[in-house]
Amino acid sequence: MTGGGVPALRVEGLKKTYGNGLLALDGVSLEVEAGRFFGLLGPNGAGKTTLINSVVSLARPDSGKVTVFGKDAFAEYKEARRMIGVSPQEINLDKFLTVEESLLYHAGYYGVEKKKAKERAEELLERFALIDKRKARTSTLSGGMKRRVMFARALVHDPKVLFLDEPTAGVDVELRYSLWRYIRELNRGGMTILLTTHYLEEAEELCEEIALINGGRIAAQGTKDDLKEEYGARNVEEVYLRVVGHDVA
Amino acid sequence: MTLLESAFNRSFRTLLGREILRFVRVWTQTLIPPLLTSLLYVVVFGVALGGRIREVDGVPYLQYILPGVALMSLITGAYMNTSTSVFDAKRERYIDDILISPMSDAQIALAYTLGGTLRGLIVGVGVFVVGMPFAGASVVNPVMLLLIAVTVAFTFSALGAVVGVVAARIDHVTFMTNVVIQPLAFLGGVFYSADMLPPALRVATLFNPIFYMVDAARYATLRASDTNPYPTLAIVAALAALAFAGAWWAINRGPNLRY
Repeated sequence: MTGGGVPALRVEGLKKTYGNGLLALDGVSLEVEAGRFFGLLGPNGAGKTTLINSVVSLARPDSGKVTVFGKDAFAEYKEARRMIGVSPQEINLDKFLTVEESLLYHAGYYGVEKKKAKERAEELLERFALIDKRKARTSTLSGGMKRRVMFARALVHDPKVLFLDEPTAGVDVELRYSLWRYIRELNRGGMTILLTTHYLEEAEELCEEIALINGGRIAAQGTKDDLKEEYGARNVEEVYLRVVGHDVA
Repeated sequence: MTLLESAFNRSFRTLLGREILRFVRVWTQTLIPPLLTSLLYVVVFGVALGGRIREVDGVPYLQYILPGVALMSLITGAYMNTSTSVFDAKRERYIDDILISPMSDAQIALAYTLGGTLRGLIVGVGVFVVGMPFAGASVVNPVMLLLIAVTVAFTFSALGAVVGVVAARIDHVTFMTNVVIQPLAFLGGVFYSADMLPPALRVATLFNPIFYMVDAARYATLRASDTNPYPTLAIVAALAALAFAGAWWAINRGPNLRY
């Protein structure tokens, strides 16, 4: 899956200034090889979510180029977006829909044919233990269940690259481990994963390659082992602290 | 054909279907109250007070007001549907799931607008049909009436999309309903002919877009109106195009929608 081929995601010179003048991305360039498990780390407000949002046009970048498996994310947005699944940081489920409808309507928005959507939704409901809740309105679910519906929704159109934005924030340990298992399995099946997190042990556990983003710039990037070696660190946490620059007391 | 197929593709149809599902699912809030309110107008103004007013422009009063009353509920239904649907989706951020999908901004704007158009039509036609036996009138030009109804519903639904995006709080949405749309509808000649007004108010009425819509609907129903209907139809169509351009802009560039 890796090396030589078209990258899953290529970002070149991406800049984004918000309306209030905040420079969120200051010329970010990044390449994620197809099939990688890629971690995007950085403190709050570093630009992680802005970067993801810019790829799917939820934020409008000032300049820069983004391609998803070679498709221009802006000029060929239909093709590009079809290949991306996003599980956002904040819960954002349609309160008028049931669990099952959330998956089916999402699949419809992505143009997935009805029969295929049904089969896929069935699999995912099963996978995330949501079968009993399929007819429940999403607004009646517990936080952990909502999170599960969000993962299932991100996957129902069979994306080639999955963006997980702080997927385990506020999630109990059990769900965290089962989620880790599942995304690892997806990755082994060839899916490219881009994970943003500020749980460093999560990045340590899952990611092959890591980029550290700070103040809207990529501060360091490499495989986990290369980074540890480069910064003379024992683990990702130490790399992080050295790069971001907060000394541990 | 392929252009049409890609414009009305599965993504678009799914969002339109979602919009319809939404108002049908909450029908006790979206379909019944406007029907009831309008029937109260018909009863109070038409049946109870109508005996004293008798005729306007040679038409029995209840017949005279029915097209306007129906149009008024169509307007509020269409506007409320899209403004609240878009506002809710934005406030709770589930609109993001639509914005990041492979749909174009024009498709998103159109699906939202047509959802509201349909709700406006259901309510407006409902009021008209239920009021007909009381008014005892028939429609002179049903095709023209339907055309007007669709265009007007489309216009206010698209306007609702703009307000839904631009509004920072829900009171901005209701402000438009209570302080702009309702008064314009009431002053738009629903209950009287513009000829009955003093000259200054009559001139002011000519700047009220809803006046033209009501007048055209009345012309199509009764052949009784204050103005020539054809320029009016052109104005209504132009307003629809303008409102849709606004809805498209709102989805594409509107504040508070994308980051």
